[in-house]
Amino acid sequence: MDPSEVEFLAEKEVVKIIPNFSLDKIYLIGGDLGPFNPGMPVEVPVWLALNLKQRQKCRIVQPEWMDVDKLEEIRDLERKEETFTPVPSPYYMELTKLLLNHASDNIPKADEIRTLVKDIWDTRIAKLRLSADSFISQQEAHAKLDNLTLMEINTTRSFLLNSLNCMYKLRSNLQPGSSRGKSQDY
Amino acid sequence: MPCERKPMRYGHSEGQTDVCFDDTGNFIVTCGSDGDVRIWESLDDDDPKSISVGEKAYSCALKNGKLVTAAANNTVQMHTFPEGEPDGILTRFTTNATHVAYNSSGSRVAAGSSDFMVKVVEVSDSSQQKTLRGHNAPVLSVTFDPKDEFLASASCDGSVVVWKIEEQTQVISWPLLQKSNDVTNSKSLCRLAWQPRVAKLLAVPVETTVQLYQRDSWALVSTLSDDLGTQPINVVAWSPCGKFLATGSIGGLLTVWDVEGKLCKHEKGYTVCGLAWHPSGTQIAYTDTEGCLGLLDGLSSSSSSSTMAIKKSYDDLFDDNDDDRPMDEGVSESGSPAKNLVALDDEDDDDLVPATGRARNRSSLKLGLDKLGNYEDDAGSAIVLPAASAAPLHPVYEGPMPTPHQKAFQPGSTPAHLMHRFMMWNSVGIVRGYNDERDNAVDVEFHDTAIHHAMHLTNSLGHTLADLSHEAVLLACPSTDELASKLQCLHFSSWDTNKEWMVDLPKGEDVRAVCLGQGWAAAATSALMLRLFSIGGVQRELFSLPGPVVCMAGYGEQLLIVYHRGTGFDGDQALGVQLLLFGRNRQQVIQGEPLPISRRSHLSWLGFTAEGTPCFIDSEGVVRLLNRSLGNTWTPVCNTRDHCKGKSDHYWVVGVHENPQQLRCIPCKGSRYPPTLPRPAVAVLPFKLPLCQTTTEKGQMEEQYWRSVLLQNHFGFLSSSGYEIDEEAQSRAQKEQQELLMKMFALSCKLEREFRCVELAELMTQNVVTLAIRYASRSRRMALAQRLSELALEKANQLQGPEEEEEPLQYTRRNTGGGTGRSSAGGQPRATNVLDSMTSSSRKPTVLLGSSVSAGKLSKTPVLKPLAPRPKSKVPHPDRKQILSCYYIPVALWVKYHVFVCVRPKTGFQLWLEENRKSILADNPDLEETDVIKEAMGRFRNLSAGDRLVRHLSVVSIYVHYPCHRKFKRDNQPTTQKLFGKTSRPVCLFYAVVVYAGCWLVFPLNGAWG
Repeated sequence: MDPSEVEFLAEKEVVKIIPNFSLDKIYLIGGDLGPFNPGMPVEVPVWLALNLKQRQKCRIVQPEWMDVDKLEEIRDLERKEETFTPVPSPYYMELTKLLLNHASDNIPKADEIRTLVKDIWDTRIAKLRLSADSFISQQEAHAKLDNLTLMEINTTRSFLLNSLNCMYKLRSNLQPGSSRGKSQDY
Repeated sequence: MPCERKPMRYGHSEGQTDVCFDDTGNFIVTCGSDGDVRIWESLDDDDPKSISVGEKAYSCALKNGKLVTAAANNTVQMHTFPEGEPDGILTRFTTNATHVAYNSSGSRVAAGSSDFMVKVVEVSDSSQQKTLRGHNAPVLSVTFDPKDEFLASASCDGSVVVWKIEEQTQVISWPLLQKSNDVTNSKSLCRLAWQPRVAKLLAVPVETTVQLYQRDSWALVSTLSDDLGTQPINVVAWSPCGKFLATGSIGGLLTVWDVEGKLCKHEKGYTVCGLAWHPSGTQIAYTDTEGCLGLLDGLSSSSSSSTMAIKKSYDDLFDDNDDDRPMDEGVSESGSPAKNLVALDDEDDDDLVPATGRARNRSSLKLGLDKLGNYEDDAGSAIVLPAASAAPLHPVYEGPMPTPHQKAFQPGSTPAHLMHRFMMWNSVGIVRGYNDERDNAVDVEFHDTAIHHAMHLTNSLGHTLADLSHEAVLLACPSTDELASKLQCLHFSSWDTNKEWMVDLPKGEDVRAVCLGQGWAAAATSALMLRLFSIGGVQRELFSLPGPVVCMAGYGEQLLIVYHRGTGFDGDQALGVQLLLFGRNRQQVIQGEPLPISRRSHLSWLGFTAEGTPCFIDSEGVVRLLNRSLGNTWTPVCNTRDHCKGKSDHYWVVGVHENPQQLRCIPCKGSRYPPTLPRPAVAVLPFKLPLCQTTTEKGQMEEQYWRSVLLQNHFGFLSSSGYEIDEEAQSRAQKEQQELLMKMFALSCKLEREFRCVELAELMTQNVVTLAIRYASRSRRMALAQRLSELALEKANQLQGPEEEEEPLQYTRRNTGGGTGRSSAGGQPRATNVLDSMTSSSRKPTVLLGSSVSAGKLSKTPVLKPLAPRPKSKVPHPDRKQILSCYYIPVALWVKYHVFVCVRPKTGFQLWLEENRKSILADNPDLEETDVIKEAMGRFRNLSAGDRLVRHLSVVSIYVHYPCHRKFKRDNQPTTQKLFGKTSRPVCLFYAVVVYAGCWLVFPLNGAWG
């Protein structure tokens, strides 16, 4: 799974928009959307919100958590805690990126929000690296990590799996007896 | 003494604050560490006027329309009041001033500063200054002797000094206070206070007590203390009459030292740092270091105009506080009131001698009666009633007070004094006004960009009023000295190139309110005139308004005007409303009737729903909708305050929709209206009629029903005024109502409220009544079913009536009015009609009933048994068909169980004949009866065997299956025959066939059929 696929999944999240056009309910496979009344907030998936925004057909209302005060709180908590804290949205990083890239004019203090979310992300990735490190160095068989988002798992998956495979290979080569059997594979 | 403590409200940011009243007592003026001076019309004033005086404001004083503040920029500044224009700098210090005070006449200002100095400045000429040097630390507070001779000041060096102003010398200095190095470190602000008018006493807060020093002798005459006061006292203030002393402590304790020793605790326990009496002596305003403003109200006895009242309180005083006054033995209680009455002698204020007892100090009236307090001359005779001097000399009106008229406003706009404001927010778009240093502009934005693109206009004329419609933007400005009041219309939907027109109003006439309709614009002016314009700028009708306009709203051809009908009292507004129609039939629909708004509230929004029903909202948040079907009454449909979380939260309404039921509004935290930035988001509130017991199922359904009825009134109005209506939505609404009625019916049935059931059925349409009948009979409520069948007949009669209308409501009204007496005229066709419609509509449910009947057939027999004779007991009616329809329900039931009785003897052919006689007759109209039978025989033989079998089966299976019912045959046959006669047989047959259709499958086709 690459990041664009995760982003695609994130686009199914619902966000509020204020349309500036009038349209009846639209019936899509994924569910009914609308009706769209000018000036009235309506919930639509992110992909549609961004599409409408790009055509200047709506204003996007930022999600409730996308607020400087709330994010500061989350960041501080994230820094304080050893473990991963619950994030405001399972796609917080993707949504922040998407919304701020396309609709930063509708989101007050967009720059601050960007910085804050990046801070949270960095803190969490650092924790993830740290836990991966301790996982390997202590040669644990399994580990449990709560409150990880899909994107975070994705960033570490390829690296961690590959390196674990590599190490497994190296280790099994070191052990006498098993080296014969293993070496035939490679 | 009664005293009402109003809840605290946010006034300033955290830090030192100060408060004072203006001379009239109409305004409360506060200052705080946010550097603003706020002018509050009352504690509930959500929009106080703010004057920025500096980075921080330490103290303020107000007299004669001049506001003096001590600000952080080391100056003492003056502002005009209430305009708030800067009026020069009075004096400067090398560091910030800490306290400012006016003298009693308002001619001088004293200011104490952190640079150890006290300055006395002439207000009229700030060059005339007197500097009092002598303190060795920052000055805490200053106060003038009311006679302008002395000035007292307290300082952080612990001293309280009395100065002689003219000579600029210290008269006396007391080392009373704890020393500190700065005002901020000082435990107490030590606000001194000199007794007003008589100027006898100087009150000095010392730790937890207040010490009273006498003028001239400068002797400590009394100490006021209380068990409750465990915290140092911060401020003291005398009441205007000089009879009461209010103190505020660091611990938040407010104490009013008066005849009854009323104590009042500050609600949060923050340090009280400002205290001011209302000039009438009935209110105390106070502020604390959290920046909150509070008000104590109802301190009424201080201004009591009756000496008797004072006397009375006096007695209480003596009773209560004896132990505090060891020196009071000689006091004659009977004597004191008598003497009080003797001399209302204001001039002889020398005799105001404080006593040492706490109680007496609270009231300087005590005087000469007290031996120890008897300091000088003809004591006892000279008793001053300071309170009496203020009020009782002229009669006081104590009745309800008139309410000031609410100012004219545009619904959907925020206050005009804001720099950035919404001039209009409605369902079409938003008009924003900017009026700051850089720009004076108007922004027009449309919710639907398909109407028009956004516009940006420079507002050189200073427009303050705006309205927006699909066709145009209407702007209006008040007149200035040179320019007349103008009306400007941007007619963007015009198809020519001139998109704009402007009209000057006659001199002296100001636009107060504007609105736009479809093809017209209206402006109400200060000359009580309403001017109509066409949207292109043609002047149209013009008429006079009965009173000053409050606001207007337009929709299509409707114009709604609210004006002041008169003066309201006790906070109520007296508003009148007019609704005019400009269409083909021009008329005034509502002719200046009173507008029913909540008590002590004002109008906050007026407009039309998206469907065109007039609607308004008052400051209590109640939304009322015009009910056109009930004589143009106003029905409350929602209370926005119910949805608010906080006490000072409000909803700012921008639109009302009836279909779907939506109240579109903007939630405002802590205010009545939203700021322009960040852009507020619209929320939707549901409607809810304030019916009783809406927590119960019954209440809920009633509420839903009446709400639905009320909110579909617009369909009737729209169709009557020639608009196209959404018939689908209308029928949906009606269906919903009928469903609700049916649910309520079922609920009442369950609760055995049969009368209520009938009442509900009266609201139903005819089709639903038949359903209700079925429900009633199924739940074995025969009396109810019978009444309902009568009702159904009546409804049918009405349905047949000359005017057939679609509205179910009107039926119900006619029904209830018409009573239950059945008109006998023209019974025959109607009865048939009822029967027909019933049989036809009963078809479907019968099938459903079949299974339940067959399941419980045996056990049900005894229950049903008494039913059959019932029709007999009824008074015979000349018309059989009417009886039939009338007794339809019992009969229908009866049929289900007993029909086989009369059917059984017939052969399959007979049955077939019954069914097909008509078609045979239709084919061969000239046949004799015998020929008909022959013909029928022929046709019957030609039928396929299976077809014939089915007919046999249906009959015989019934017979076989229900042998036990045969015993009713003899009893019931006559009745059956009488009731059904020939015509009813097909019906019976139909029932038999349908009800027992299931049996065919159960019984195998062998045996008996051979």
